[in-house]
Amino acid sequence: MKVSLNWLRELVDAPLDADEVANRLTLAGLEVEAREKFAPLSGVVVARVLAKRPHPDAAKLSLVDVDDGRGKTQVVCGAQNVPAAGGLVLWARPGATLPGGITLGEKPVRGIVSPGMLCAEDELGLGTSHEGILILSPADGLEPGDDFAKKLGLPDEVWEINVTPNRPDCLGHVGVAREVAALLGARLRLPSVPALTSSAPPAKVELADAEGCPRYTALVVEGVTVKPSPLAVRLRLGALGVRAISNVVDATNIMMLLWSQPLHAFDLDKLGGGGVLVRRARAGEKLMTLDDQERTLGPDDVVIADADGTGVAIGGVMGGGGSEVSSATTRLFLESAHFLPSRVRRTAKRLGLHTEAAHRFERGTDPSNCAHVARHLAATIMGVAGGKLGSSLTDAYPRPIAPVLVTLRPARTDALLGFTTKIDRQVSLLKAIGIDAIDEGAGTLRALVPTSRPDLTREVDLIEEIARLHGYDHVPATLPPLDSPPGPMRDADDVRNDAARDALRGLGLDEVVTYGFVGPEALRVFGGDEKRWVRVTNPLREEQSIMRTTLVPGLCAALARNLARDQPDVRIFEVGGIFRMTPGHPNPAEERWHAAALLHGRADGWLKPGTAVDFYDLKGAVEQLLEALGHAGEWQASKQPWLHPGIQAEIHIGGVVVGYAGQLHPAVTRALSLGAAPLVFELDLQALPAASAVVAMELPRFPAVARDLSFYIDESVTARAIREVIDGARDPLCVGVRVLEEYRGDKRPAGKKGMLWSFTYRAPDRTLTDAEVQKLHDELVARLAAKMTIERR
Amino acid sequence: MASLADELQQLFQQFSGQLEAAANEQAVRKVYADFGGANGAIRLKQKELIKSAPNDQKRVIGQATNEILQNVEAAFNAALGRLASQAEARELARSVDVTLPGRAHRLGHLHPITLARREIEAIFAQLGFTVAVGPQVETDFHNFEALAMPKDHPARDMQDTFYVAGAEGAAGEGADVVLRTHTSPVQIRTMLARKPPVRVIMPGTVYRRDDDATHSPMFNQVEGLCVDEGITFADLKGVLLHFARRFFGEEIGVRLRPSFFPFTEPSAEIDFSHGTCKGRGCRTCKNSGWIEIGGAGMVDPEVFRHVGYDSEKYTGFAFGWGIDRMAMLKYGVDNINAFFEGDVRFARQFR
Ligand SMILES: [Zn+2]
Repeated sequence: MKVSLNWLRELVDAPLDADEVANRLTLAGLEVEAREKFAPLSGVVVARVLAKRPHPDAAKLSLVDVDDGRGKTQVVCGAQNVPAAGGLVLWARPGATLPGGITLGEKPVRGIVSPGMLCAEDELGLGTSHEGILILSPADGLEPGDDFAKKLGLPDEVWEINVTPNRPDCLGHVGVAREVAALLGARLRLPSVPALTSSAPPAKVELADAEGCPRYTALVVEGVTVKPSPLAVRLRLGALGVRAISNVVDATNIMMLLWSQPLHAFDLDKLGGGGVLVRRARAGEKLMTLDDQERTLGPDDVVIADADGTGVAIGGVMGGGGSEVSSATTRLFLESAHFLPSRVRRTAKRLGLHTEAAHRFERGTDPSNCAHVARHLAATIMGVAGGKLGSSLTDAYPRPIAPVLVTLRPARTDALLGFTTKIDRQVSLLKAIGIDAIDEGAGTLRALVPTSRPDLTREVDLIEEIARLHGYDHVPATLPPLDSPPGPMRDADDVRNDAARDALRGLGLDEVVTYGFVGPEALRVFGGDEKRWVRVTNPLREEQSIMRTTLVPGLCAALARNLARDQPDVRIFEVGGIFRMTPGHPNPAEERWHAAALLHGRADGWLKPGTAVDFYDLKGAVEQLLEALGHAGEWQASKQPWLHPGIQAEIHIGGVVVGYAGQLHPAVTRALSLGAAPLVFELDLQALPAASAVVAMELPRFPAVARDLSFYIDESVTARAIREVIDGARDPLCVGVRVLEEYRGDKRPAGKKGMLWSFTYRAPDRTLTDAEVQKLHDELVARLAAKMTIERR
Repeated sequence: MASLADELQQLFQQFSGQLEAAANEQAVRKVYADFGGANGAIRLKQKELIKSAPNDQKRVIGQATNEILQNVEAAFNAALGRLASQAEARELARSVDVTLPGRAHRLGHLHPITLARREIEAIFAQLGFTVAVGPQVETDFHNFEALAMPKDHPARDMQDTFYVAGAEGAAGEGADVVLRTHTSPVQIRTMLARKPPVRVIMPGTVYRRDDDATHSPMFNQVEGLCVDEGITFADLKGVLLHFARRFFGEEIGVRLRPSFFPFTEPSAEIDFSHGTCKGRGCRTCKNSGWIEIGGAGMVDPEVFRHVGYDSEKYTGFAFGWGIDRMAMLKYGVDNINAFFEGDVRFARQFR
């Protein structure tokens, strides 16, 4: 909402210091977001044209003699609309400054010196028109020699105020002025509105939809002359960013900006039957709005029809093209009505018509003020366009909306705010914004809330007003007592997610956060049931239209960005949610916490400095992550189509597949333009069983002895298969088994791989002798050799 | 007898010579074993002499030869001692170039949003707030309705919403499933699940249809809620002040400005004094000396009605802000999109 400081000054009976008022409003909840000078100019005077003649050397220029009351001066002018002798124009004399910081001097134009210039609207910062110089009308009341800026109160200061949706009263200058007056303890100075009586019959109104339009007031004004508004009006509208149209339309806009009451002026001669019918629209009813669009309406919309039943406006939203005021109009039918906020909101939203009128009506205008504003509008129009009343006021208001009575307990104010405000102070703060609060005794106040404040209906609303007007700055800062038992510990999922982050971070991976939504193309690559996708129906772009079902696409996209920025060594992880539709799930979508990581490039200073990361780097990271979370996984070769067929595994814990690890499939890598195939894993953290509690074991008291075994074995035999044989064959005194090496170099028998395993022997109750260990080991090796074809190295 | 002494003496000299030449412990022990060990040359010679001597001489010869064996023992120990001190001297003479770069044990990095979230959680944990979370795909009821924003409420315009097709895939805008636009629905879920007293902090990812340098369609918020008997607006201010000082520094001030949220009354915008310019005003704070942080207020009785709390008995406050914004201010990040690009150079700055 744009607010003119000049206008506020007219409405508040106190000197206003701009900085102070802006600050006070901001601290009272009407945030002044921007402040701007409107038309900062000086040295521009009114001058009378005495004569004009063509420039001898330039066809498009003329030489104009003007008189600023101090004598004749010749000015060079490029405009085509210089008025004949006697016309009044604006002359920026040498030394004048214009918006934009231009200072005028005397300079030759095609050989003839011009002292300053005659000004167009845009040069004065009053508007955008550069069609010619600004020509004053006698009605503007200016005389040659008048200082233009001084006479018109320029520059004005315009504020952009952020009006929250609960304060429709502040969508007009009167509402803002009321706040300023309350904050400064000053009086509001409302414009006087004549009573305007007429013996003519009332304007013709039939109110058939009193739900959608609780009040409809109307007046007829006859004999008007439609023409441009006086300069002062045009300047005010210009300052507030509203285009001037004609004296009649401008008057409706000025009244709206003053009272926050949208108004409409119909050309009465274009209203069939000479009046209006306010009704619900018929299903499918068509109406051509002012912006030349045909709108299709329905029974939820309020239509203003003429007395013959033809729709002429969408109530509270926009007028129709057929009944618009034009330069030929002489008889006006003026509407000042109240529309039901929810109905206007639905109509405006459905039609996408967020007009100034709808903006105010859907937040709530003051139903009590319709007749008053109707009279003010009629009087204003008669002031600028002539004419006289053609009707008495019609006021269709079948069920008047009464001010709301609210009971306020001053003690409750103190209890909620945490400090004491004396009762008479509470009363006077409310009084300042027009709320009469009467002390009923027994600890209650009866407060009568004017209809201009639809946001105040409950005790707590009034408490907020008291706190606001008292000033939040004066609220003390205390800490709530810690005398209640603390709540439950944080959610186990949340604890585990952070544990996973810490573990992955400790493993040298960098955390990233990627978008929760991805594109269908990116997701399709990774398979999955598309019927269970969670789809955004109004995405900003297609790449953000499906809630992710896996974290891998986000990590791949991050890798692509890193590659594009010349950062090939990428080791990143994300712990985040994935989404899918699951019928019967208590939430709208099933959301699961996943952890995923991606490795690409060299392992600088990580596991094996300088070498390319491989599957075992990835597997090591997963194993360590699982260890940190209290688990150990079983690894089995798997068949995910998006992973390399020979370099992938699924991870089993407690009989459930909890995730996958592997190298991205070459085709997927190509499709995502990733260069070398990255290694990725993804774990469903919620599929992990609860980790068992740690029970510390007693440390062994006797030393262990290690024996190694090196052998060749068929390439196809997995470490897991060998381990199973070992586990079946080993004596309980063999307490540790691990692989030290797998050899697939040149010096091995065809079809075989070399392996080096290490075995640890220990007895719980004594030190084993060399001979005992050797015997145990020889027996173990013999049993292995009996079950597998191995060849000692 | 002379020859006897000479033979032993000769062996001893041989022993001494080899011992001196032995360069390491293994060699020393071998020399000792060759001469002084159970089967060493000197012991064998001793046995031989004693055996061949007449009975009355055996004792004398035994004593005389034992003397030599003692000397062997002493020389052996001396040689071991010499080697040990040589080894120690060598060890002490060794030095490294401490100016060479260290060998890396690389730590990864946590995301600034994780770091900021944890710090926020820790600060509120001191005040007795526990952590609660909720779903990102949310019902219209939890996200709007129960927060006193019915379908036609103008306040819905303040939050541009992403809608989600229903399970049947047939819903459009106005359907009753949304990507949550704030973390406030977690308040509703928490209050529906628990009775007062409630003291929770609720971090999470939220979505709005907005996209520019300061707005991302996805961002992260944290919401706080404290409900009990006797909780006041002044308590809200005190808690925010405590947080501001712990998070940004002891010199930070808090300013509350009246505002409007349908789910709080009174409502406030939270401003923190701008630490970077010490409240003097700069470009970042639009010369005001204050930075807009988020929203807060006393829980609206209408919200209590939706969750079945008695608003006469209980009062409470709620507050919320962007974790990302906090992280931007704390770490001086200008563009929110940097948080979601995954550039490793960005990620590696934070600790
Ligand atoms: Zn600053």
